[in-house]
Amino acid sequence: MRPWTRLALAGAVAAMAAGAAAAQELYTPNLSYRTGPFAATGIPLMNGQRDYMLMLNARDGGIGGIPVNFEECETGYNTEKGVECYEKTKAQAIVTQPWSTGITLQVLPKTNVDQIPILAPGYGFSPMTDGRTFQWAFNPPASYWDGAYMILHHLSGGDLGTLSGKKIAFLHLDHPYGKEPLPLLEKLAADHGFTLLPIPVGLTEMQNQSAQWLQIRREQPDFVIMWGWGAMNAAAIAEAVKTRYPMNQFVGVWWASHTDDLQLVGEAGKGYRAISWSLPNPEAPVMAAIREHVIDAGKSLASAEEVGEVFYQRGIVISAILAEGIRVAQEMHGTAQITAAQLRDGLENLDFTQERIDELGLTGMMAPFSTSCADHTGHSGAWMLEWDGTQFVQASDLLQADQAVIAPLVAEKAAEYAAANAPWPVNEACEG
Amino acid sequence: MLYRTAGQFKTSYRADQALFPLRQDAILLGVILALAWVVFPLTASEFAYQTLLIPVLIYALAALGLNLLTGYAGQLSLGTGAFMGVGAYACYKLITLFPELNLVVAVLLSGLFSAGVGVLFGLPSLRIKGFYLAIATLAAQFFLVWLFEKWGWLYNDNASGAIQVPNVEMFGIWVAGPLATSTAQYYFVLGIVTFLTVVAINLTRGAAGRTWKAVRDMDIAAELIGINLMKAKLHAFAVSSYIVGVAGALFVFMWRGAAEPNLFDIDLSFRVLFIAIIGGLGSILGNYLGAILIVALPVLLNTVPDLFGIAIKSATVEHVNVIIVGCLIILFLILEPHGLARLWQLVREKLILWPFPH
Amino acid sequence: MELLQRILVRPFAEMFGAPDFLMQVIWEGLVSGILYALIALGFVLIFRASRIFNFAQGIMVVFAALTLVGLHAMGLPAWVAFAGTLAVMFGLAVAIERLVLRPLIGQPDIVLFMATIGITLILVGSGEIIFGGENKVMIARELGIPSGSVELNPFGGFMLLEARDITVVAGAVAMVLGLLAFLNYSRMGRAIRALGDDHQAAVSVGISLSAIWVLVWFVAGIIALMTGIAWGSRAGVSFALEIIALKALPVLMLGGLESITGAIVGGLLIGVLEKLFEIYWGQPLLGGSTEAWFAYVLALIVLLFRPQGLFGERIIERV
Repeated sequence: MRPWTRLALAGAVAAMAAGAAAAQELYTPNLSYRTGPFAATGIPLMNGQRDYMLMLNARDGGIGGIPVNFEECETGYNTEKGVECYEKTKAQAIVTQPWSTGITLQVLPKTNVDQIPILAPGYGFSPMTDGRTFQWAFNPPASYWDGAYMILHHLSGGDLGTLSGKKIAFLHLDHPYGKEPLPLLEKLAADHGFTLLPIPVGLTEMQNQSAQWLQIRREQPDFVIMWGWGAMNAAAIAEAVKTRYPMNQFVGVWWASHTDDLQLVGEAGKGYRAISWSLPNPEAPVMAAIREHVIDAGKSLASAEEVGEVFYQRGIVISAILAEGIRVAQEMHGTAQITAAQLRDGLENLDFTQERIDELGLTGMMAPFSTSCADHTGHSGAWMLEWDGTQFVQASDLLQADQAVIAPLVAEKAAEYAAANAPWPVNEACEG
Repeated sequence: MLYRTAGQFKTSYRADQALFPLRQDAILLGVILALAWVVFPLTASEFAYQTLLIPVLIYALAALGLNLLTGYAGQLSLGTGAFMGVGAYACYKLITLFPELNLVVAVLLSGLFSAGVGVLFGLPSLRIKGFYLAIATLAAQFFLVWLFEKWGWLYNDNASGAIQVPNVEMFGIWVAGPLATSTAQYYFVLGIVTFLTVVAINLTRGAAGRTWKAVRDMDIAAELIGINLMKAKLHAFAVSSYIVGVAGALFVFMWRGAAEPNLFDIDLSFRVLFIAIIGGLGSILGNYLGAILIVALPVLLNTVPDLFGIAIKSATVEHVNVIIVGCLIILFLILEPHGLARLWQLVREKLILWPFPH
Repeated sequence: MELLQRILVRPFAEMFGAPDFLMQVIWEGLVSGILYALIALGFVLIFRASRIFNFAQGIMVVFAALTLVGLHAMGLPAWVAFAGTLAVMFGLAVAIERLVLRPLIGQPDIVLFMATIGITLILVGSGEIIFGGENKVMIARELGIPSGSVELNPFGGFMLLEARDITVVAGAVAMVLGLLAFLNYSRMGRAIRALGDDHQAAVSVGISLSAIWVLVWFVAGIIALMTGIAWGSRAGVSFALEIIALKALPVLMLGGLESITGAIVGGLLIGVLEKLFEIYWGQPLLGGSTEAWFAYVLALIVLLFRPQGLFGERIIERV
């Protein structure tokens, strides 16, 4: 918005909360969803995010000496409510964490005007990788297109050509999130001669997928790739067991690796795989710190069981990425109380080396990556997780997506986006 | 006192049937218009524009459209959300296909598309009545939303399946898209809403309005006195869907900025219906009162606990809001089935007589 | 030509080509059809006794299921929780009669209909606050609903019938028979039917309106609880069920608002037809997800030819 209105609004809000405004804080609101059909998968992630920030506040007094205000705004995974939350928080926030691809897409054009960075770790619009076009959007450490490529690459045994003639069903939520990998999958299907069978699951039929699984039974695809979320995943896995679809041909994206979803079927789900850019590691030093400062202090909302699971620990990694961005920005600009624009610089210069990961106590929970002005994703790569009947275990080495294949598509879609939203500023100053 | 009618004499039927038989009504309206056109834009903050002023106008317009159909012509519709969607998608296609088109023209044209679809789904009303018709409009609701989802051409085969409002310029000012200022968007909406409200008032006061009311009160009787039911009902569907469609186009272009198909789901239909019910069926003013109440309520609920320093989770506020709307609907149905508009009339009558009791 | 062939020939060829698959499709359709029929049954009961089109029936299903799961989560044994839920549903029926229906006696039908939308909102909001909105698992095992499945091998193929679906079907049949017996042979049941036939005549022979209304809403609540258990054990308990419950509306249009037979036949018909249409026409030709609207469009078309539905009473209008 125009700066003077923003100033006026900020002034008004600050005047209202006179006492609180005096204290310095880093306001990083989270557009969470703890209610609705997506709550089951949202809650553990958001608990992980929250607990990491609480731990920093308790252990280090925040970041750079300033406490983090990690307030939540409830969206229920509803795009309309999410945009309301964005409008409500944008005056003071230094970052937007939209937590839904639908919300990300809607606030994306506004962030250019409002000058607030969007942080969408592992979700959002894949072409956001292109930092020249999407100056304010970040989706580290891997985009959906990276994920789709890595899954196919792994299924093909390292050579996509072997997929020729195969039939691959793409079971996805009929929502911007589920449709996101379609452009890449279609391109790969055309290039490598496999049949792609997109099977959408509507928001209202997530829990009643009998029609979708009858279709899968009829079509007999060689693989089923799932882009599911919330109540959809549990129902899909239960239906897969019921239709006796071979579990070792069924692979999910990283958001379809929630321990609880698989626990419902237990042994029968053995062999189900999901790609993931984070690994659970209860032994990591950061976990000990969170236990000491947050969980044992009774400040956590998470259950004891949840803490050991994939999603909670991924939430920690997500908050660690944001915290690191804030720290880099503070160093770059020599001030602890950074602004939204300064945080953008921080997120653009993330450098998660193995050394830095160990320093943060995240050993074994994430892979190294770094972002730059032109690359807002970092492409850390990911591992396959496999359900062994009781828990998810690592089932592959670190996989990498071939950026030579993805980059042209990113450039094409980013240019399309800029054209459709003209006038759209493109930062030509970026190098490589 | 304020509303004293003494000294205002009517010497002709024409004067008695005038839009404002009382001078005070005209003055009051003038004050409201002055507020809307001059005072609000000068004082409103960004937050007020986005959460109160613009949505109130758009929802009021949508409710107005529904009210013509349900309140005046007596045909209950549960498909308002989908008809708004038709308007929004039509406007999006017009603007992306013909970028040169003036946005006002595009918005007004897009209403024609929803009017067409409205007539199509209004056809069953010739044979089906009451609840059966209400359920039949649900067919429109679910089918159209499904179509928005599946028909790629409608959203230009966008990967996300959502429509994104492009930046649109009018006379050198950005009026839609992320670059537009709230003030420009507010004036755009206000202009169209004012215009359509005037049209609607005159329609309901004229032959069309009387025909609709006759159909509403008893359609067989209306047919017996020579009203062509088919024409009257389809006319009501067309006019209503036109206004609803324009409201839908404004909803996306002037307020939301982007839309997924499920934005137009049944919840939206119900929200508009609640506004019409609480405001008062068969009233024009009621739509505005209802919209103010329904739009402002969650904003109030969100700020009130803060003022008292009580921390309530945002999700809880959301649910309390739903409960309050439910209670309000029942309360209004029990105490004042004609809604807020009727309440205002009662107040006005009291004012005219005040300070005397009779 | 090609298109005609794909619409008129190929689907049937597929059906005969894989009869075991066809049987599976029909079975899945039947099971969801029974659930639609159960919800529609709740509507019909209330409509017959009070001429109220109860929009809240769908959310009552969710609310009953949530209460059951919620009480169990508080540590009550399954059957105690079941009894507790029945008590809650009774309290709800009394409250609705006292606070909503009684003050609205004599108002036009449309006003009563809107009042039930108000009830819906109150139940949605309070359900979310009390029990939380996340998806919950129905306590199927604790209630003695078997799990596992039966495999049949018709025509050399295979067909899976889940034990809990079979239980649901059996339970639904038993409940419908019980309900019919109640309506036909018990005093209260006959009173309900009398009210449905002629309101004023029934009141004048001494049938208590409010007592019957409470009873009818309570019975509708019991049906809602049963539906909630059945559907919840298939797909979990969440507010998404409310949308599925709306499917009962086209069932009612098809079957007629007053007819119990209509609700059952309509429900089964819609359940099976929408599944067949989705699998054989919707998915190959229309991009799928046609179940969202098929039932409504089908009902709309039927109504154009029979405005009172398949089993409804013919409406004769006089001025």
